[in-house]
Amino acid sequence: MDLVLTQIFNGLQYGLLLFLAASGLTLILGIMGVINLSHGSFYMLGAYLSLTLTSLTGDIFLSLALGIPIAFAFGAAIEWLFIRHLYERDHLQQVLLTFGLILVFNEVQRILWGTFPHSVPIPSYLSGSVKLFGLMSYPNYRIAVAGLCVALALAMMFVIQRTKIGRMIRAGESNREMVEVLGIDTRLLFRFVFAAGVTLAAAGGIIAAPIESVYPGIGESVLITSLVVVVIGGIGSVRGAFVGALLIGLADAFGKVFLPEFATGLVYALMAAVLVARPGGLFGRA
Amino acid sequence: MLRRPSALVAIVLTALVVAALLVPFVGGSYAIKFTTRVLVLAIFVISLDFLIGITGLVSFGHAMFFGLGAYSLYFISPQAEAANALVAFPAAILGAGVAAAIIGAFCVLTRGFYFIMVTLAFGQMLFSLFYTSRIAGGSDGAYINVKPEVALFGVTILDFDRRTAFYYFCLAALVLVYLGALGLARTPFGRVLQAIRRNEQRVGALGVNTYTHKLLSFVLAGAIAGFAGVLFATIDGYVTPDLFGWRQSGVAIMMVVLGGVGTLFGPILGALLYSAIEEVLKTGSWVGPIANHWSLGLGLILIAAVLAWPRGVAGLFETHAPPAPPGRDQPSGDLQAERPQRGKALAVEGLTRAFGGLVAVNDVSLKLAPNLVHGVIGPNGAGKTTFINVLTGALKPTAGRIRLDDEDISGRTPYAIARCGLGRSYQRTNIFLPFTVRENCLIAAHARHPSPFRLRAGKFAREEEHEIVHALAATGLSARADARASHLSHGEQRQLEIAMLLASGARLLILDEPLGGMGAEETGRVTALLRALSVNHTVVLIEHDMDAIFAAADTLTVLVEGKLLAHGKPEDIRRDPAVREAYLGRWGQEIVR
Amino acid sequence: MTAPVLAAEKINSYYGQSHILRGVDFHVMPRETVSLLGRNGMGKTTLLRSLVGLVKPRSGRVFLHGADITGSRPSFAARAGLAFIPEDRGIFPNLTVIENLTFAARPGRGARAGWTLERIYSLFPRLAERRSHWGNELSGGEQKMLSIGRALMTNPDLILLDEATEGLAPKVRDEIWATLRQIAATGIASIVVDKNLDDLLALAERHVVMAKGEIVFDGTAQALKADAALIHRHLGV
Repeated sequence: MDLVLTQIFNGLQYGLLLFLAASGLTLILGIMGVINLSHGSFYMLGAYLSLTLTSLTGDIFLSLALGIPIAFAFGAAIEWLFIRHLYERDHLQQVLLTFGLILVFNEVQRILWGTFPHSVPIPSYLSGSVKLFGLMSYPNYRIAVAGLCVALALAMMFVIQRTKIGRMIRAGESNREMVEVLGIDTRLLFRFVFAAGVTLAAAGGIIAAPIESVYPGIGESVLITSLVVVVIGGIGSVRGAFVGALLIGLADAFGKVFLPEFATGLVYALMAAVLVARPGGLFGRA
Repeated sequence: MLRRPSALVAIVLTALVVAALLVPFVGGSYAIKFTTRVLVLAIFVISLDFLIGITGLVSFGHAMFFGLGAYSLYFISPQAEAANALVAFPAAILGAGVAAAIIGAFCVLTRGFYFIMVTLAFGQMLFSLFYTSRIAGGSDGAYINVKPEVALFGVTILDFDRRTAFYYFCLAALVLVYLGALGLARTPFGRVLQAIRRNEQRVGALGVNTYTHKLLSFVLAGAIAGFAGVLFATIDGYVTPDLFGWRQSGVAIMMVVLGGVGTLFGPILGALLYSAIEEVLKTGSWVGPIANHWSLGLGLILIAAVLAWPRGVAGLFETHAPPAPPGRDQPSGDLQAERPQRGKALAVEGLTRAFGGLVAVNDVSLKLAPNLVHGVIGPNGAGKTTFINVLTGALKPTAGRIRLDDEDISGRTPYAIARCGLGRSYQRTNIFLPFTVRENCLIAAHARHPSPFRLRAGKFAREEEHEIVHALAATGLSARADARASHLSHGEQRQLEIAMLLASGARLLILDEPLGGMGAEETGRVTALLRALSVNHTVVLIEHDMDAIFAAADTLTVLVEGKLLAHGKPEDIRRDPAVREAYLGRWGQEIVR
Repeated sequence: MTAPVLAAEKINSYYGQSHILRGVDFHVMPRETVSLLGRNGMGKTTLLRSLVGLVKPRSGRVFLHGADITGSRPSFAARAGLAFIPEDRGIFPNLTVIENLTFAARPGRGARAGWTLERIYSLFPRLAERRSHWGNELSGGEQKMLSIGRALMTNPDLILLDEATEGLAPKVRDEIWATLRQIAATGIASIVVDKNLDDLLALAERHVVMAKGEIVFDGTAQALKADAALIHRHLGV
């Protein structure tokens, strides 16, 4: 029972981290119409950035504070250099160019940090665990990460629902042309959305680093699972990404407990089931 | 449409074959192994190009069939003996084909981004199946201890343990696969696939079941990929789950695009180019310490290629035929068919189509007699296009029935309705722009016999040719038969749309604003054509050009806010006060009296 | 002699191969209301879209306040004082009424009397009542008013209104015409496309008729009324 509960909590926490990556991906696909395969690389680069920053600052949350503006600037630069040329291109070329970016990022990571797995220390004030429901112990840091993800999710909801930029994002999703006609330069809007998506993914990577070891392949599995989340949740829906990510997290957890050999298969089966029942995703614009 | 390769391309390909024949004589065993890999990868990538470049299905999981083919060799090969290639290879092809049929049946239901995702998903599922389970060594991979041989009645003819023998076998295989794929692309089946890539909706509206065509293409591509896989396994005698993975699929897509999508010879160049780049970047003695980071260089080259070179290497070989001079306007051709045909009659009862609270078509009942020109007019937003979409099956009616002659076609799919003889044209010209005029009509003619298994031009070729000639003559486009559709003037493109409908055997033509964007002279010509067509067809016409529609139409139907306001002879409609009100407002009525 | 707010010279616009606008010359003077008439498919919408920058003319120039804006992005023209209201109104369905209204609110060029939310609400009381409803919950007429209100909140110099009253009940149409008169009185110039000849004749100072991509009439209401043959040919049944 202990094990099952722990797995469920792990699954939820994994889902919350996944949400950070997937939310950026769904917005970029929904508003800009670009399939960005290198999105997982931003999560990976975030994790490695965390390695460097934490060894400098000694604290993961300071790393996060420093990492966010770095990631934002980096994302804006990538959009300006490469991504903005893809808006008019077909899916095939988008897939190819972003695949090339994966190769470049992977190699940059290797050059800067090497291939050995690393670990990032959990801050001392969050080490140890707490007794939940009097039933089981759960690590403090994981609870903090989950809390942070929820906080970020709420902040995103707030920005999207209540701020001017959020209105532009929502409007851009339903009628890009009208946004331009009303006087908003959609080029800048797109740059902002892309940079924000990159930042979210990188933030996920930064705070996830102490939980699992940091190794070169983490970007790829995050990418594929994020794509599945986007399909399940519906392209362009942040709410869908949240629900989808949690579903995936739980499915993954159950898979690990009951069907360890088919855990990954379970995730794809879930995607197939959703596609059959609701071809546009759970919250998609059908 | 895909033609025979140009002379330049043929020369380059022949030169490559000759060079390949010489490799075992000038190079060492490493060179032979390297080139064998290139040959096998080229076969794999040709199969992917058939899927992406011919059919338009971008699959991110094609490597799963490659992997299945490779692993089948492991399963078939006995522990200490050579498998018989005459058994093993066909088994791999069959196995991959069957898998493609099962997986494809589901995947081909989706399109675009979703298709990319489901193919990726299946590929990853197979990857994790072979990676995590103990089926075939799991993540460690598996060895094929003795390489297969070609044996007949117990006599070994070719032993693939010998590199050179296997090399020439692969070379022959590549040549055969390329010629086979090229030939397949030029069959009626292949041509319909190419049309599906350009404009699937249009192909469906002509009467073709695009699902079965796409599925067959998926199966064939999967089978060929399986063949490449089993060959690949024979090179090293070692298989790993990575062969299934998305990276392998991604690299294949890279090769397709680098070489040139849709050309079928591009993949050969792409495989060669990619392998060469990879080899060069990896060889320390040539590029120095960068060799350790060769994938960085590869990634940058890829990015640069997409930005600067979207047509790939094959783009270098493209000859740009000068656009044919804008057509001298052709007089409408002679329309005497061998025997007069009866056009179809259309009857609509209580037809309604609602979108939530908005009723776009409201209880419309109408009978349109055959062999006449019927005009449909009405103010903007009156529901005319929705009405047409319901008639042609693009939308399902919320209520009401549609009858074509005596057949109830309500609620059928667009391609089934098209096969009953109802053809439509679109407000925005909806033809296959990269194809020639003749090829456009050919696709339409193919739709008369739309079985996907039309692998030979076969018995219908003469009949189709006759239909095409007739359709072109009727619409005055005979002289432009070999011009690319994108080079036609706007009026000629509209005429081509009508020619396609004639070639497809439609007996009731529904034309949505065929005169849009035309000058006065073109309008007159097309109007005359429409009148001439009504001898053998029923024509239904939505238009806003009042002069034209009054000249052309035998009856007029007026739709306002989704409802039928009036129906009758043009002169009566013109005098109807309710109709005037709908168009001109109260004031306008007075001035025109 | 005052310069036009907006001027187009010899515009040729295409949609793919379709030659929609054939050498069109068009202008709007400051504070002027111009009507754009003609049957469907004659090029009215393409002309508006070419003026705003959504369609790039293959040849010809467009000038706004005397500056050449041919080929500029629509957002540039919008911020320079142009407000385009498309035929389908372009209401954002996933934003509320008040969010739609305030979406692009900004002060106008120079010292223009501000259109504020309160002023819009007094112009369109129904929008005030429905202010927290989603954009796609409004009726057709209400959406029309919302799109006009949203354009006004950008304090434009010139409004381009494609199909002012199409698909609306007569009572609602009257409200729209009254609104357009009020807007004209505040000094905003406008180009109005509509099918209701009588209402347009009463509203606009100048009338332009298009047929098959060309301007076939450009003059006063009197001149238009006098030419019954032209009306019958290009506007009637």
